[in-house]
Amino acid sequence: MTPDPLNRLVAQLAKLPGIGEKTAQRLAFHILRAPGEYAAELSQAIREVKEKVHLCVRCFSLTDAETCNFCRDARRDERVLCVVETFADLMALERTREFKGRYHVLHGVLSPLEGVGPDQLRIRELLERLNDSRVEELILATNPDVEGEATALYLTRLLKPMGLRVTRIAQGLPMGGDLEFADQATLAKALSARRDL
Amino acid sequence: MERYDDDALVLSSVDYGESDRLVTLLTREHGKLTAFAAGARKSKRRFAGALEPFMRLRVHIVETRGSTVRLDGTDIVAGFYAAREDLSLIARALYAVELCRELTRDHEPQPELFALLESYLTRLDAKEAGPTSLLAFELSALAHAGLMPRFDSCSLCGGAPGERPRFDQAHGGAVCEPCGARARESVAVPVALLSGLRALQEGARTPLPPDLRARARGLLNVFIAHHLGRRLKSVDFMAQVGLD
Repeated sequence: MTPDPLNRLVAQLAKLPGIGEKTAQRLAFHILRAPGEYAAELSQAIREVKEKVHLCVRCFSLTDAETCNFCRDARRDERVLCVVETFADLMALERTREFKGRYHVLHGVLSPLEGVGPDQLRIRELLERLNDSRVEELILATNPDVEGEATALYLTRLLKPMGLRVTRIAQGLPMGGDLEFADQATLAKALSARRDL
Repeated sequence: MERYDDDALVLSSVDYGESDRLVTLLTREHGKLTAFAAGARKSKRRFAGALEPFMRLRVHIVETRGSTVRLDGTDIVAGFYAAREDLSLIARALYAVELCRELTRDHEPQPELFALLESYLTRLDAKEAGPTSLLAFELSALAHAGLMPRFDSCSLCGGAPGERPRFDQAHGGAVCEPCGARARESVAVPVALLSGLRALQEGARTPLPPDLRARARGLLNVFIAHHLGRRLKSVDFMAQVGLD
């Protein structure tokens, strides 16, 4: 018979995405074998992430202060704002080290088939933010799927009359990609979005 | 396990587990199918971009023991990419696919409905289908599902709807004034609205004026919600973003 505390830990770990029963068991045994400080630090980290991490009051990314590092960083360009679906998308853009502007996280996309409309996203907050800011360009970096496109088109309809430059991230072939092995949809998009040289 | 190829339109798709997707397809010969697309969220090549709503595909299917089939591969026949660049066209296309999804049952072939949806999406993509065309599409789709509302005569007595007609979704359409007392949920409708909808049913494609279109939209929303037992989600989306 396995002790109850170990069963409880396995059951909790197995609830994590991508973790099955066997992996949960392996992780639980790892925690059991590790020094006591490791288990204390792990539980402390889990508690703190729930207690201290919340949404930035300006851009709705994650922070443990009132505003996030991106909003506080005076070196970032206030005139360019990149709109993303999720915090994970923001992190992906940050990894490029190319974008030096600020962000706004919508926390979802318009999804007609799921009944998700503008009121369920952080669109009203985006419009309020634009009223008293120096933003000149908005980059719409929602995913290139039907829902992402619908969201970008809806935002364009709201933002264009405000006199802002509204741009959409490009779609097409990946860098270093091979035309021969590209999928049909991406290649078709790359052709229709071709540019003059 | 039997394998077959078929023409298909993607009605919707949802993420399943860590890397898979469940795709609802309307196929020409096999009706509506729920297909399991293994690795669809991770694979960059196999299904890339093909499992989006209102894609027209050639699908390679493998039957399984249950009612869900396995999607082995896809070829994009038409992406309707022009329609994907206009919010109102996206909204209409999604409404059309949701309506077809709700009006059909799994594994019941509906080749006429497939042709109707394909033709509507083609006209949307060519920017030839305005808001009135959506009403015409809905009426045709309802007719294919055996739910055609009646606009030319009273649904209760069979007589003429008269000068002060009413509409009752529970009785299936127009109701004349004398029968209105028996149809408690009926609402008064203009004669012009009934004649406009009847003309669309008969194949006319003359655009309805905006006020009649709005009344027709409301009428069909109530009719469809009554017969499906729930309101279509994309209707709310169209209302929220101010489209018809």
